[in-house]
Amino acid sequence: MSQNRSRGRRRKKQPENFFDYTLLFVVLFLLVFGLIVLYSVSAYEANIKFQDGAYYLKKQLIATGFGLAIMVGAFLVDYHIWERLAVPAYVVSILSVLLILSPLGREYNGARRWLEVGSSGMSVQPAEIVKMGIIIFLAALITALGPGIARWKSIGLIAAVTLFPFALILFITRNLSSALIIGGIAFVMLFMADPNYKKYFVLLLVAAAVIVLLLLYVKGVGQKTGDFRFNRVLAWMNPEEYADDTSFQTLQGLYAIGSGDFFGKGLGESIQKMQLPEAQNDMVFSIICEELGVFGGLCVIALFGVLIYRCLLVANNAPDTFGALLVVGVMGHFSLQVILNIAVVTNTIPNTGVTLPFISYGGTSVVFLLAEIGLVLNVSLRTTVREQV
Amino acid sequence: MSNRRRRKRPLTKEERRQKEKHVKRQLFKSMQQKEVLFFWLVMVALIGLSARVIYLSREKGTEYSKQVLAQQRYDSRTLPYKRGEILDANGTKLAYSEKVYNLILDANAITESRKEDALTETMGALGRCFDVDVAELTRYVNDNPNSQYYVVDKRLPYDQVAPFLEEKEENASITGVWFEEEYKRQYPGSTLASSVVGFTGTDNNGTYGLEEFYNATLNGSNGREYGYLSEESTLERTTIPAQDGNTLVTSIDVNLQSIIEKYMNQFAESHRGEYREGEDGVKNMGVIMMNPKTGEIMAMSDYPNFDLNNPKDLTPFLTESVISGMNDKETYDYLNKLWRNFCISDTYEPGSVAKALTISAGLDSGKLTGSETFFCGGKLTVSGHEIKCHNHSGHGMVDLSGALEKSCNVALMQIGEREGKDTLMEYLYNFNIGLKTNIDLSGEARTNTLVYDPEKMVASDLAISTFGQGYNVTMIQMASAFCSIINGGKYYEPHVVTEIRDSMGTTIKKIEPRILKQTISATTSDTMREYLTNVCEKGTGTTAVPAGYVIGGKTGTAEKQPRGTGNYVMSFMGFAPADDPQVVVYCVIDEPNVADQPHSTFAQEVVRQILTESLPYLHIYRTRELTEEEQSELEELNLLNASENEAAVDSEEGSDQTEETDDTLEENDNPEQQEEENAFAIDPDTGYAIDPDSGDLLRTDDFSPVDPTSSNLDGLIGVENDPSQTTDNTTGANPLAATSPVGDQNDSSGGQEKQGVGAGFAIGDDSISIEYNPDSLRGGNSESSDFGAGAGF
Repeated sequence: MSQNRSRGRRRKKQPENFFDYTLLFVVLFLLVFGLIVLYSVSAYEANIKFQDGAYYLKKQLIATGFGLAIMVGAFLVDYHIWERLAVPAYVVSILSVLLILSPLGREYNGARRWLEVGSSGMSVQPAEIVKMGIIIFLAALITALGPGIARWKSIGLIAAVTLFPFALILFITRNLSSALIIGGIAFVMLFMADPNYKKYFVLLLVAAAVIVLLLLYVKGVGQKTGDFRFNRVLAWMNPEEYADDTSFQTLQGLYAIGSGDFFGKGLGESIQKMQLPEAQNDMVFSIICEELGVFGGLCVIALFGVLIYRCLLVANNAPDTFGALLVVGVMGHFSLQVILNIAVVTNTIPNTGVTLPFISYGGTSVVFLLAEIGLVLNVSLRTTVREQV
Repeated sequence: MSNRRRRKRPLTKEERRQKEKHVKRQLFKSMQQKEVLFFWLVMVALIGLSARVIYLSREKGTEYSKQVLAQQRYDSRTLPYKRGEILDANGTKLAYSEKVYNLILDANAITESRKEDALTETMGALGRCFDVDVAELTRYVNDNPNSQYYVVDKRLPYDQVAPFLEEKEENASITGVWFEEEYKRQYPGSTLASSVVGFTGTDNNGTYGLEEFYNATLNGSNGREYGYLSEESTLERTTIPAQDGNTLVTSIDVNLQSIIEKYMNQFAESHRGEYREGEDGVKNMGVIMMNPKTGEIMAMSDYPNFDLNNPKDLTPFLTESVISGMNDKETYDYLNKLWRNFCISDTYEPGSVAKALTISAGLDSGKLTGSETFFCGGKLTVSGHEIKCHNHSGHGMVDLSGALEKSCNVALMQIGEREGKDTLMEYLYNFNIGLKTNIDLSGEARTNTLVYDPEKMVASDLAISTFGQGYNVTMIQMASAFCSIINGGKYYEPHVVTEIRDSMGTTIKKIEPRILKQTISATTSDTMREYLTNVCEKGTGTTAVPAGYVIGGKTGTAEKQPRGTGNYVMSFMGFAPADDPQVVVYCVIDEPNVADQPHSTFAQEVVRQILTESLPYLHIYRTRELTEEEQSELEELNLLNASENEAAVDSEEGSDQTEETDDTLEENDNPEQQEEENAFAIDPDTGYAIDPDSGDLLRTDDFSPVDPTSSNLDGLIGVENDPSQTTDNTTGANPLAATSPVGDQNDSSGGQEKQGVGAGFAIGDDSISIEYNPDSLRGGNSESSDFGAGAGF
């Protein structure tokens, strides 16, 4: 070991520094894979809507290029700067949500979730900004609180600063899934920082009980009410009964997964992408399973597993609490998105609109996810070898 | 608590820092532990989801794969083909298919619509444009918000759909309504030629008549519109167009068809309930009008007709109470009787019309020479049976012509004895008696079991066979056989369809007249025509002769079985003109509703009326001077035109238009004829009309283009058998036999056309000597441009 290290030292000028090539490789692989899959999935619909099969691919390529630049930027700038810029980051992200109420806000598919950037036709989804903003802000806040994190007052403070953007996202953009992810990130970070286990498990149990009661209630009412979330839960329980409307997308996604067999129909051979509206968004995983089979789907899950594992390593060896908390936030973010997305696609949980990182179509998402990866790489860069051992 | 406070105080700075560092390290350590715990939780979740994916693929794979394939169907749509049309000889539509629209309501599209007023606006427009119950439809949409296919109304014509489409164009709130295309069979003549045309329901399956016989020809194949994914992953829409069906052009002439139907109805209606109370004027009745030179059916009808657009409607025939009292079987039986074509599907004993067959068989076989005479004492005893002649006091001495003229049964029985059963049966077989004629209409009866087997025939069978009793025939068999007797012995297969065109109007098949056999020699045929002319000139058939014409024919009165009940089948078979038959009319009346049935004059009267009206239409001109009585009768029918009524020359059009008759068809007929003749300039050199558009020469009789390579005289051939040449009556072998009154009328106005015909023939073949009369030629030129001008050439 020590010989290896010393030889490495001699080769590299900064021997004590560590760079997570595995993470970078996994991310780049996922990016390229995501673009290929996106093209395969979206070409059909893009052709119908825009007479250009590569329409979505081009937009995503631009966003990916921009995101890579941001990632490099985040990697080059010492992450400790964010400890000082945490409050501005928080404020800016919240302002971006509020801007949706201004004329800059843009509606698409009946939902007002986007911000128009200039007249270029590009748009930004503030919910994605908030996700990163909350990671930076909470990491700085928890670091500042230090050991006081265990106090109920601190927990209340963290809950308050989280609930504010949570409520904004929920009520301004009517985007429950993004709000849930923001809450989830906050919960994960708080859980990591607080040495206490008991209260979190009690909280989880209470949440589980509430969910079960809610499900029982929904089932008891049985009939449709006006609320679409209500219907989604019902449709989740009996997808076949709502095949025409609420669970149409879910069911078509399931058909896609089921018809893929083990090695799939082959890249680009999906039939279900013609049935599934906007298959390139939330349901992209089902088309992966159809085209590349169960094998392809499991490979994607494994890649995300590796990504999260690399985050764990970086977090575990972070030089300081702030760095570790940043990486923990990113790790929580990726974990939640991947788990929720695949759970929705396989109808394990009711339908919410969570995208699959790097693969689903969405420019803002890819830019900020890459920025977060940049932060993680930056933290890994500052990990000294001594501490890694 | 107190313990901790006590400890805190003595801590030094160094200790405090150490302590803080320791706490921080502890925190960091717990965080590291929790990170690992979190990681494992995530891994468990991912593994669980992987298991779920595997489960979905393994357990639901087959089911979902089927679902995926099943959904592909929605991308394809059937395009219905258009069934071909049925046209008459002049291109008038007897049947065609019209595009109609089914009104489909998509409730889902209305409920999903972003417009608040989608339901009210759509329902409002539907209520304005269609005869629908808006309240009920609204309820349907509210009750079935997910329904996407609800047929509101079927088979709407385009002019009903168009206003709605306009409204939809202007009002964006109208949604969820679309139209499915379909074809609907239309019969513009409604009852016209109903049994001949037949009808077709929604399934494009013809029933009866041409619709059934030519079902496959009329039908096309459905097209399909479907989408598929191309190599570039773009959805390509491909349309395989429907192959529309072929169109039939028939030899039926709507005008002639209307004429025969008019007089049939007139006859049947005039005898309605006359003897048998509450019954139709006839039990059955049929008329066939046929071209003896081609076997083409020009008109054919039975009684009564039914509405092809509504074939199951019994209200024109029965009262409401009778209809509601009928069970399914009775209704079905009644409908089948109504729909079947009496002319081809029903058999009967032909009666005396068959005497023409018997005598031609004797002449042709050489068993008769034409010079025989027979004595009729009113009855004849054949192997113990006493068979009476219809004239119980006897006809006295009759020759062959006389036997036909007087329709003498006793003479015919003696003829039959001379022929022997084998000869007679052989000839009947040659005349297709007992065989199908293979006419191109569905439902022709088989008669092979309804004729005598020569092996088992006894003398009395032979005796009654000679005058058409004891065996059964169909009308079309008799008409076709008779055509061969008068046309020189050529048996043409009777047919209705002359041409088949594809959907673009291109002729793909022409059905030429088809000679099946030579039944008798041309010489025998000439003799027969002469005898049959005598029947109408001085025998039993005088009633059938239309004013101004010389025709031939044979009457028939057959007693129906069981004998002695007073039920008869009356018939008359006539042809005109006598010297050059261009049309054969056969009328059969089964049990007229009169007290005293056995009078062939019933059928003769109908034939006379039909010929009186149709011969001028067929451009066959009167050859005899009209008596004043006849003239006034024709004037009443509005059948005199300028060429025949010199007094009306100056005001021909005026008189045609002002003279009111209750026959609308005639009004269409004659003025049209004159219009045509007036509209076309006549080429002074050839006598043909000149097409005003192209300058081509047209034949004046049917306005078809003149083919300079052929003489185009088929309409004129047959004059070679002109009976005006007086020869010895007894030399049956002489083709130009018999004394016909036609020849005596060369100088009369009626004779001019006839001479025109003769002169016209001379163009084609001047080796045959024809009486040539310069006066008649001049008359032809001035009054009958077609033939007369031909003579000038």
